[in-house]
Amino acid sequence: MVDIARVQKELQECNKDKDSSGISVKLKGGNSLTHLVGSIPGPLATPYEGGTFLIDIVIPDGYPFEPPKMQFVTRVWHPNISSQSGAICLDILKKEWSPALTIKTALVSIQALLSAPEPDDPQDAVVAQQYLKDYQTFANTARYWTEAYAKSSSVGIEEKVRRLVEMGFPEVMAKDALDAVGGDENAALEKLCS
Amino acid sequence: MDTEDDTFSDDHDVSDDVVSSDSDFTPETNSGDHREKSYKVLSEEDIKRIQDDRIERVTTSLYVSSGVARVLLNKFKWNVNELQESWFTDEGKTRKDVGLAESRKKHVGTKKIEKLDQLNCSICFEDFVCDVRVDNCVLCDHQYCNCCWNGYISNAISEGSGCLSLRCPDPDCDVVVTDELVSVIVGGDDKLRYERLCVRAYVEGNEKVKWCPGPDCGFAVEYDDVVGSGEGYDVVCGCGYCFCCNCGEDGHRPVDCETVAKWVEKNNAESENTTWILVYTKPCPKCRRPIEKNDGCMHMTCRKPCGYSFCWVCLDDWGKHAYNSCNSYAGRVVKENNDEERVKQRARISLERYTHYFERWAANNKSMKKSFADLQRMRDENHDVLLAKHAQSSSQLKFVLDAWTQIVECRRVLKWTYAYGYYLPEDNIAKTKLFEYLQGEAEAALENLHHCAEKELTEFLRDGTTAEFNTTFREKLANLTSVTKTYFANLVEALENGLADVDSGSANKKLKTGSSSN
Repeated sequence: MVDIARVQKELQECNKDKDSSGISVKLKGGNSLTHLVGSIPGPLATPYEGGTFLIDIVIPDGYPFEPPKMQFVTRVWHPNISSQSGAICLDILKKEWSPALTIKTALVSIQALLSAPEPDDPQDAVVAQQYLKDYQTFANTARYWTEAYAKSSSVGIEEKVRRLVEMGFPEVMAKDALDAVGGDENAALEKLCS
Repeated sequence: MDTEDDTFSDDHDVSDDVVSSDSDFTPETNSGDHREKSYKVLSEEDIKRIQDDRIERVTTSLYVSSGVARVLLNKFKWNVNELQESWFTDEGKTRKDVGLAESRKKHVGTKKIEKLDQLNCSICFEDFVCDVRVDNCVLCDHQYCNCCWNGYISNAISEGSGCLSLRCPDPDCDVVVTDELVSVIVGGDDKLRYERLCVRAYVEGNEKVKWCPGPDCGFAVEYDDVVGSGEGYDVVCGCGYCFCCNCGEDGHRPVDCETVAKWVEKNNAESENTTWILVYTKPCPKCRRPIEKNDGCMHMTCRKPCGYSFCWVCLDDWGKHAYNSCNSYAGRVVKENNDEERVKQRARISLERYTHYFERWAANNKSMKKSFADLQRMRDENHDVLLAKHAQSSSQLKFVLDAWTQIVECRRVLKWTYAYGYYLPEDNIAKTKLFEYLQGEAEAALENLHHCAEKELTEFLRDGTTAEFNTTFREKLANLTSVTKTYFANLVEALENGLADVDSGSANKKLKTGSSSN
């Protein structure tokens, strides 16, 4: 069974220093501690700078002895992340997982992966090829995707509503929340979760 | 540890009493070649004893705990000499390789536990009281409560043999988890599974030991040489299954592994063409009622009122049936009308030729499996029935078990001789004739024996007089067993010689794989 107490502790711990780390974890919706949403800022001096990336987190029954299942909600152009599904290729989320790691450390590792792609062990072969053969085009595409998908101002209100609905909130509530916070998707999400 | 275990030295000593004791089928004509190599059948208990013995040798020579010794031995494939050599050459490196780096433990067991009694678990983040039993088994300083250790270890056990080289949960710590800790932490099914994995590690890491491929068999077989490196020889496991130590196929003496592999591949490739053969029913040649072959011998008798008696393989009348004519493939003359016709006809003949051998191979294969089941049933049930009806002691019934053992072995040999026959060069008429003669003789003898053991014995299981059982029947069955044994010994010897008798010019040239006709 999922160790609920540990997940609760992790959430508290992680959100304590979210102002300095920029990394936060929230409930996906409802009260279930097994479905969460993580948020990480794009690392500085990378094509992802300035973006906010949302990551869907499912806590499996065997947690913490089995790794949490994580995948990007925000679309991202990166050799180790599927441009289609958001699936992440990262060893600590698979065989290198250890119960001494946490959701926070996993998110930190994902952030580090954004800074340092590993094109030799790709999740998305097209992106990896581009990264190796034509870095400039890769960087431009990644930057464009960050602008288009990972910045709150870049997303149309309809799109934001759609995403909040996808996360499990009723459409009316999602619209109200977005209105109340001036269109900032993350702030709206926080409001909905609180 | 008792002294008897000294026989299990690193050189894989073989004690004679366990060598192929289950097999009566060892032709005396064999002249001490590679096929006479010895082997040893090991049960799970045998393996545990060997492991305990080697662990003891390591604990006393390297001054390490038994848990550490197991970790080291797993790494060195249970070879004590190699481990010792590595250890005494560079202990530090040997330790490091298996996750036994210099103990970083600052405190040891009994020392000042009261200071340590309130610890924080790095997995669940809860405070817990130090458990001395656990603390004594953990080789690093990382602290986890028993509950989290249990979750961690159980999870690893459920994932398989990786749990034998499990490391501390801390991602930066390389220290191994020993079986001492495992046995303190887990119980029940997890413990049993772990112990089983410990035993399996001996076989899986060892190139001279292989699991018996027989169905549901838990025995392993230990050889003198590394497996898969040389020519094969047949091994009889404690479960009765006979297999080739080299290729793992069914025992296939006198045919070599190469021919067997080729034949098996051929059968897979031809499976579409021969699907119809695998439909195991045939219509009775006289009354056309479909018949399923449910006994092992080829002599079929249709149900009443038909009662027609015929050969399953060629469907000829059994009364007129000269067995020698059924086993030989009478090659057909190709009429060379035109090229297209010739190609078609060649293809048809080639398929027919293959089908001839395959059908007989498959029939004997099925018959072998049936006889093996019959032998088991004879041991388990029918033996007691006969004992109650006709015999005073088990030894008086040995001739029945001998007969069945002989039947199983002969069906196996006969089966493979059809693969041999297929690859025998067609143009070597003298060899083909000799082969078919020897095979035919052996096959006819086996059919008699099989019929007697299968059909005539049934009488005595139901009623039949004890006097007859102990005189006429015993004599007949024992004679047939002995005659069949001789015929097969001759057949095996001749094939192993490459049928050298027919051409003294190129004598002793071992026949391997002749040209196939497609």
